[in-house]
Amino acid sequence: MARVNNWQLGREMSYWYPESRPQKQFAAVFDTNKCIACQTCTLACKTTWTSGKGQEYMLWNNVETKPYGSYPLAWDLNLLSLLDGQNWGEEGGKPVYKGSTIFESAPAGERVLGWRPEDEDYAYPNVGEDDCAGGVEHGASIEIPHAMAWFYYLARICNHCTYPGCLASCPRGSIYKRPEDGIVLVDQNRCRGYQECVRGCPYKKVFFNPMTSTSEKCIACYPKIEQGLSPQCFANCIGKIRVAGFINTPDKAEADNPIDYLVHIKKVALPLFPQFGLEPNVYYIPPIHVPTAFTRQMFGPGTDKAVEIYRNAPNDQDLTSLLGLFGSTEAIMRKWKRVGDKAIGMDENGKELVNVPFEEPVHIRPAYDKLYQITRTNCP
Amino acid sequence: MRFVTSLTILALLFATSCTKIQVPTPEVNVAQVKEITLDPNAAVWDAVSLHASKMILQDLVEPRLLEPSTSEVMVKAITNGSEIAFRLEWLDASQSDMPGPRHFIDGCAVQLPSKVDSNVPAPQMGEVGKTVEISYWRADWQAIVEGRADNINAIYPNASIDHYPAEAKPLENNTQAQAETAARYSPARALGNRRSGPRDQPVEDLIAEGPSTLSPAPSAVSKGKGVKTAKGWAVVISRPMPAGFSAATPSQIAFAVWEGSHIEVGARKMRTGWVPLILK
Ligand code: SF4
Ligand code: SF4
Repeated sequence: MARVNNWQLGREMSYWYPESRPQKQFAAVFDTNKCIACQTCTLACKTTWTSGKGQEYMLWNNVETKPYGSYPLAWDLNLLSLLDGQNWGEEGGKPVYKGSTIFESAPAGERVLGWRPEDEDYAYPNVGEDDCAGGVEHGASIEIPHAMAWFYYLARICNHCTYPGCLASCPRGSIYKRPEDGIVLVDQNRCRGYQECVRGCPYKKVFFNPMTSTSEKCIACYPKIEQGLSPQCFANCIGKIRVAGFINTPDKAEADNPIDYLVHIKKVALPLFPQFGLEPNVYYIPPIHVPTAFTRQMFGPGTDKAVEIYRNAPNDQDLTSLLGLFGSTEAIMRKWKRVGDKAIGMDENGKELVNVPFEEPVHIRPAYDKLYQITRTNCP
Repeated sequence: MRFVTSLTILALLFATSCTKIQVPTPEVNVAQVKEITLDPNAAVWDAVSLHASKMILQDLVEPRLLEPSTSEVMVKAITNGSEIAFRLEWLDASQSDMPGPRHFIDGCAVQLPSKVDSNVPAPQMGEVGKTVEISYWRADWQAIVEGRADNINAIYPNASIDHYPAEAKPLENNTQAQAETAARYSPARALGNRRSGPRDQPVEDLIAEGPSTLSPAPSAVSKGKGVKTAKGWAVVISRPMPAGFSAATPSQIAFAVWEGSHIEVGARKMRTGWVPLILK
């Protein structure tokens, strides 16, 4: 095993291969506060990539209701219970992971710590939908806020990890990370269907195809990325919760890069289960109505601060404007800026792709319209 | 049943399909016959000498197999001069021939050095510059060759599928458009990955130069047939005679067995070291 730097852990860790970062790393930010679980993303992916024989049960994109939803069943709980002592400490004022990752806790004879879902585990993709934590007392539904009656939606795709567990698990080297954009792919010609990657991906985002006997996974719609366009699940998102782009390491963060700004500068978007050690590249703005005792174990020690920053967004014009650019164009915004009350998304040469006013004008009409002599109901 | 079983019991078991109890030989002796058969139950095997190959864990490269399963594989070999056939029989209480998540497939393989040479390659799938040839039989391919449908209902009989784009109405009378659409959703088949079926032989030809280098052989030359016995599997794998192998120049052979229900796949397998292969 090699020693590599994982900035999400604040320390070095052991990995199967030496550190080799791509020229650019595909990354995304999902705002969990805006997702409505319409599953349009799931269907956009399904119809584009997984409508073939042997792909019936596969959802490269899925949306699950937390706390009880999970696809495949208990993907998160199973791994969390295998992984001991996930404690965070602090060094020089920065959080440092003191527990061990899936690579550092690989049992004898294994390449990583993992487990294998059975076919039944894929049979309930929407288990726990809209089930809230805690019981709801009679009459509580009209009290706001509810102390424990919360749930939220977690949209998930492959994280195109910097240190993929799938890639480390494959004894044949059939999985590779593209040097040009960091997208992680299974070579469909070389794969022999050993399902080691299915076992080794803690997010369970590789799926075995029983008709081709190979394993398949999210490809980040790379043919679209190559044309500067966002993947299907981004472009079709009804809630406009997603933004796609490329991330730099924290030491090279650029304030005009939307992903860098949200992840490194504002620190409002956080990785999913950073303690697994994969440096996943889909970042989440945590739900602000959920007790952070729950979300902290999912998104790491930055959760409380991220919630505070997001809650303060109405007083932060830059953050508000960038949040307004989510889902505003299919093109990938490599840069952004705020000019007055407008947010502008740009390509890598600074050419404008889209411009969005972040404060929409409000018109208030009198209830009685004198011109037409009619009374109207004012709806937003 | 999965664990160590005494040689005597195996030999007795074997006797149920043969007429007399055979004393195993330390090498694989290849008997010369007029005609090669792929049938594990053919009478020709009765008169052929038996080798009982002790299996060991593949515990050298990760992922390793840590808990032993198949302890022995019983081997017989025949040749008609141009083809050589091996009959492998081993114990396996369950039949694992349905692919799926966490479902693994029973199988076996024979491995020969690409060149007959006293300086043999490493028995763990060869080494750089010293290639090995592997013929690999799998129970799911056997089922498909025998007519199991190449669709999801063969694996999950209660599955209901509302729509496959390749079978949509507008493509109904256009077989080329159907095939193109199906290929779009089946990248492994579109790329010609021989591993991904549909197959006309239950045996696959492979070459390797050490662990993790397994690749398809230049051509598919092996044939075979496996049958489930009361206690396990009996499989015949036939392939062309290894170049340079003769009565005067013996070679070596190695075997591997995968027990699907024991989560054996790829590197997680029981294997043997090299065994002398002698033409009688
Ligand atoms: S999320 Fe899983 S499948 Fe995707 S790159 Fe990471 S380890 Fe591989
Ligand atoms: S399309 Fe967008 S809003 Fe709808 S479920 Fe997917 S991520 Fe959530």
